[in-house]
Amino acid sequence: MLHVNSISKTYHSKPALNDISLTVQHGESIGIIGESGSGKSTLGKIILGLDKPDQGEVHFRGNNLHTLNGKALKKLRRQLQIVFQDSAGSLNPKLPVWKSVVEPLENYPDVIPSFLKEVRHNRKKMAEVLFQKVGLSPELLERYPHQLSGGQKQRIAVARGITLEPDLLVCDEPTSSLDVSVQAQVLNLLKKLQKDLNLSFLFISHDIAAVQFMCERIVVLKEGLAVDSFLTEDLFSQSRHPYTKLLVEMSMEQENKIEENQHFYT
Amino acid sequence: MIENKTTATSENNLLVVENLSVTVRNSREKLIRNLHFSIPQGEIFGLVGESGSGKSLTATVILGMLSKSLEVTSGSVKLGQSEITSLSERELRNIRGKEIAYLSQNYQSFFTPFIKVGKQFIEIIRCHTDMSRKEARKVAIHWLNKVHLPAERVFNSFSDELSGGQLQRAAIASAIMFRPKLIIADEPTTALDVLTGERILDLLSELKEELNCSILLISHDLKHIINRTRTVGVMYGGRIVEIGKTSAVLANPIHPYTDLLLQSRLRLNKHIQHELPTMLGEPGLIAEEGCPFSKRCPSVRESCSNKVPMSSLGTHHSAACHLVKAEREERYVTR
Repeated sequence: MLHVNSISKTYHSKPALNDISLTVQHGESIGIIGESGSGKSTLGKIILGLDKPDQGEVHFRGNNLHTLNGKALKKLRRQLQIVFQDSAGSLNPKLPVWKSVVEPLENYPDVIPSFLKEVRHNRKKMAEVLFQKVGLSPELLERYPHQLSGGQKQRIAVARGITLEPDLLVCDEPTSSLDVSVQAQVLNLLKKLQKDLNLSFLFISHDIAAVQFMCERIVVLKEGLAVDSFLTEDLFSQSRHPYTKLLVEMSMEQENKIEENQHFYT
Repeated sequence: MIENKTTATSENNLLVVENLSVTVRNSREKLIRNLHFSIPQGEIFGLVGESGSGKSLTATVILGMLSKSLEVTSGSVKLGQSEITSLSERELRNIRGKEIAYLSQNYQSFFTPFIKVGKQFIEIIRCHTDMSRKEARKVAIHWLNKVHLPAERVFNSFSDELSGGQLQRAAIASAIMFRPKLIIADEPTTALDVLTGERILDLLSELKEELNCSILLISHDLKHIINRTRTVGVMYGGRIVEIGKTSAVLANPIHPYTDLLLQSRLRLNKHIQHELPTMLGEPGLIAEEGCPFSKRCPSVRESCSNKVPMSSLGTHHSAACHLVKAEREERYVTR
């Protein structure tokens, strides 16, 4: 469905991405992992068509995303949605949140997602259905973003992301600014939605554990290069790139220490 | 409570917080309730809790920087011999930066963007001492080397020319120049990625050994605290609900909040999970009466709406929960 064909991008003569290729099949979830400055957000932007690559191209459902414009691009964009890390910044502070959630539908009057068919004549009802999908109480419909907690805002952002029933949802660090207890809730929600709606995911994160939980395949970025790419079940395999191994090791080390402690005391 | 009292009276404690409560002025809204903990000389104490638990507010009180709209209604904060809560602004200024250093999550705004980092170092040094510019420069370079930065280059850079990790290191260098007795590190690694963050924590532990100072390490994520601290306090709704030796708390978390916090942390698994264990509700849900966690707690019972005192479980571990009693009985039986 999505083919990224050896794209490169340079900012201020510093290479941000170097010859990256990847494909996402329908209903598949791909994780992009890397440290800050590894180019993972740049890759996300290019895939969304928010930025142009210097070289290479992105094909989405058979169309080159960066040569399209006007109506054709708009039509394609419906299938490409995003959830950002900063949910506060992605919601209009002066709109009650239910309006933000159904706003994408106003840009695409012809689109009626399958799960909204029965309530298609009533915008507010649509918002209610979407709220329910992301586990929010209908009491929150009339609230403004500042009256909601971080977790609730992120759920709203997710609801907005699925409003148009897209094929591909790009999530750029969707949980890294949330509290630990809320992080798990939102990840569970995303995983459930992915299954229910048969979405494809491009999940961008620096947290290897989150990516392992969410994705079927993982691409590791380091300084703009894709150093490793593999199926999630092969994460612990000996043939992983040394950098991937390092990331795994760091994460396991913490775990092992906890377990050691627990054995010591019991 | 018992364990706390014994450590609170021992001689080598650098920081002693006793029965501290903070409220919003002219209202009854309590933000911190009867906080009790102490940090011995040369140790790292961890404070864990989610948004709104009052952990950063605790740091503000220790720094004597409480906002005018809030007030300390009871208790005391002692650093060595000085009682922080009763010092004048002038006396506080001598302590801040010199005896207590503060590191925040927001390293981006630590340095002014339009002045070179080195110049800002010199300014800080000359604020606290009467060194000449030349001497101050030497000192700055010395400490920049100490935090493993290319000292000359960083000294001559603007803050936007440095990476996040480098900026946090430079901030640490400027914080430790006067060999503080206490470093408060408020989420020092949250905005950094995993590898860089780990290296920053390594650096802090290394500096702690060298300067023999104490560190108050604040984080919302138990993962960051676990391997670095000797003792840990878990905060919820302005109260410490569990406190003790880190290893003891990890091995046997009593308070359901601690337990759930540990369970819901993200971790790598050999077998892929289908659903992550979660906690009910959101961090803002705080019960006014009794145990602050009772509205989200899976083991809640009627007595939780009354005052729940801290009770100890062995010498190095206590929690404010009715489950302590059950745990004690169980231990008695198994013995």
